[in-house]
Amino acid sequence: MIAFIQTLIDGIMIGSAYALLALGFSLIFGVLRRLNLAYGSSILMGAFAGAAVFAQLKSGGWIVAAATVAAAVAAGIYVERLCFWAVRRGAAIASMVSSFAIWMQLEEILALVFPERTLAFPPLVGSAMLQVGPFQFRSEYLAMFVLAVAVMAALEWLLRATRFGLAVRAVTEYPEAARAMGVPVARIAFWAFVLASAIGGTAVFLMASAEEQVTLHTGMALTFTGLIAMMIGGIGSLRGAVLGGIVLGVVETVAQAQLGGSGREFAAFGLLFLLLVVRPGGLLAQDFATRDAAAGRRV
Amino acid sequence: MGDYYVSVLANIGMFSFIALSAYLLLLTGEISFGQQAFFGIGAYASGIATALWGLPFPVALLFGAGMGAATAGLLGLLTLRTRGLYFAMATLAFAELVRLGLQEWIYVRTVEDEPVGPNGVDGFRGIRYVFENGITPGVFLIVIAGLLALLLVCFALAERGRIGSMLRLVGADPLLAATLGIDVKRVKVLAAAAAGAIAALGGCLFAHLNTYVEPRNFDIMLGVHSLAYGLIGGLGTAFGPILGVLLDVGLLESVRVFQGYRMIVFGGMVALLLIFMPRGILDETRVRRIAGVWRRGRARARHHAEA
Amino acid sequence: MLKLEGVTRRFGGIEAIKDLALDVPAGARLGLIGPNGSGKTTLLNLLSGVVASDVGAIRFDGERIETLSAHRFARLGIARTFQNLRLVRHMTVRENVWLAQHSLPAAAAFRRHAPAEIAFAARIAALLGELGLAAVAETPVSALPLPHQRRVELARALARQPKLLLLDEPAGGMTPAETREMGALIARLVPDDVTLILVEHKIDLVTRLCPRIAVLDFGRKIADGAPGEVLRRPDVMEIYFGRAETADA
Repeated sequence: MIAFIQTLIDGIMIGSAYALLALGFSLIFGVLRRLNLAYGSSILMGAFAGAAVFAQLKSGGWIVAAATVAAAVAAGIYVERLCFWAVRRGAAIASMVSSFAIWMQLEEILALVFPERTLAFPPLVGSAMLQVGPFQFRSEYLAMFVLAVAVMAALEWLLRATRFGLAVRAVTEYPEAARAMGVPVARIAFWAFVLASAIGGTAVFLMASAEEQVTLHTGMALTFTGLIAMMIGGIGSLRGAVLGGIVLGVVETVAQAQLGGSGREFAAFGLLFLLLVVRPGGLLAQDFATRDAAAGRRV
Repeated sequence: MGDYYVSVLANIGMFSFIALSAYLLLLTGEISFGQQAFFGIGAYASGIATALWGLPFPVALLFGAGMGAATAGLLGLLTLRTRGLYFAMATLAFAELVRLGLQEWIYVRTVEDEPVGPNGVDGFRGIRYVFENGITPGVFLIVIAGLLALLLVCFALAERGRIGSMLRLVGADPLLAATLGIDVKRVKVLAAAAAGAIAALGGCLFAHLNTYVEPRNFDIMLGVHSLAYGLIGGLGTAFGPILGVLLDVGLLESVRVFQGYRMIVFGGMVALLLIFMPRGILDETRVRRIAGVWRRGRARARHHAEA
Repeated sequence: MLKLEGVTRRFGGIEAIKDLALDVPAGARLGLIGPNGSGKTTLLNLLSGVVASDVGAIRFDGERIETLSAHRFARLGIARTFQNLRLVRHMTVRENVWLAQHSLPAAAAFRRHAPAEIAFAARIAALLGELGLAAVAETPVSALPLPHQRRVELARALARQPKLLLLDEPAGGMTPAETREMGALIARLVPDDVTLILVEHKIDLVTRLCPRIAVLDFGRKIADGAPGEVLRRPDVMEIYFGRAETADA
């Protein structure tokens, strides 16, 4: 029992990073109604930039974090301009395919620039084990959890208490009405993308710090973690994205503890498949599909 | 013909199958990230048929295609209520589950004093039917081309007749289709099964040419690629997805200078293309226009001949 | 041939159709009028199987059909047009009308020269001619003005040779002259043995084509009879013109 709860705790902590990935992914999808398949590799660029800075300067901390987030945002802007802004309205599938093509492109750029495949990443905190009762908390994961929660809280504030946040919510929930009310949808989309890239950059920074390394070709896993977590929690709900991330983290960690390596993936995809067949909307779905269908659009 | 070119053409041929598989589903309005599952099921099933059960190749083809159709039909039934993006994710999840399952599955038998068969993560070696029967890659290429040609003929006939119209209407406006008497659910499940069979066929050919397959071959990358081929080449005709495969495999393989920068160039090209042609190159409108021009050209030629 | 008994359909908290009873004999021409939101389109959706009733029975030629799916309704011989037009915009007039082919028996699909196919092709050609669409048969429907587009919808429905024809505002958005033309076309082209239910706002068109009208208000049927009587009823007039007020000069 204790072991199980320990696994739960570990799962929640890693799930907090997944929640950030899901939030970033969800922000883009909510505002643009398009899938960004280049999400993972664009934020991975950030992580590698951070690792490169670390390799040059030999010290970690804020400068590495800043480099990671900045590079993730830069890559995100590249993707947004080429695959989303430039593709005309109503061509959601074209955007998706385009982002897939750029995903490939970014992966190859990374592979060329970093032939070593794996780079070291500075840890956030010294490696230590906190003991609270019978439970252990690894300091790296604890730091990750605390910072992730802080980012989520900041995002929540941004969305609830600022005009930008209001505009984002309007465009997410009622795009046609927002457009008709004069909300500059394209500009909001751009900044939402920037925000999502920043959040994603933070997520990979936290994950890389905990693992103390970054590896090539994890772009796909990052994208699909975000996508799966979003679907588990329900499309269109940022709270759902957080819930989905935590659920995914827990399911993966528990499955890994019980079933080993591939059991983890098996559980993640099995859960997703079951949910989609039984409850297609996800756990907290806002039922975009019906609303959009009623408005004459198809997801 | 040089070995290299045979290999490139064979790849174009085999990937055309999975591209056409995703295309068929796209016609009925469904985006599938999971056709690679049936490619893999076809590969494994047909490999088992020839290497473990000693069946002849044509039988293995039928068996592989049948398994692909059956599993795809089953998935189609399970996901009848799942729409749009949710369906796409369900197919992706299913395909990954199949891949993970193949990673664990071991079914090894001793054939002629050697262990042969799917061996989990190590894959499935020894699918040597083609070489044991003296079929050279060149000859096998003809088999691939022949089957693909047959498939394209089927698509062409369907497009000209009622089936093509029905599939596209189900994709474009399922409500209208239903009020015109089309059983949308049945069409979708049957299309899914047919698409599964087509992908499986490609997998059979792939397994037998390469003599070795592993679960890693059938990952999400293959699935997204097969979807992209149709979306880039255009959905107006079955030649659209083939055009997509040609662009990817053919153009870039044969231009050696891009080696190592292939995806950087190709990725950029695709992104630019989609800005100007978001529905792909041979989309419905363009195909119509080409068909119209061709028809008028023919009428004019006939007119001149009669004059 | 069509009977509705106690049919109710709710959307969320609203009863779009409440406890509706209707008896339509074969060959009848029934007009359906009522203010916006009274449930006319919902009723057509119920009659074409597009939505299912929550309560009640729908009988078609004696058989209960309310649990069937939309394509079964269509196969029973029920055809409809849509208020907002459901044409495939990039296809030509001829191709849109040809969509009616999906009601033909499937087996004939492979035999171009089967009698059913030949008859169908002839029927389409005749319809296009009668509806004045022959000249634009190869034009994409998106390039045509609204009245022509509505005729294409009508042609598609008629090409199916339905037993029951449901027309949802076939003259919507048309001028009085265009409306009269449409009325003449409907009167001429709908065979006598076909049952017609016509939803319309334009009272002239309805009274011209239908010897019987039913009035819906807030999902309930409040009148059913000959136009002359129904339109003179105070409750019907109140819907359209408001309650008579004491004159204030």
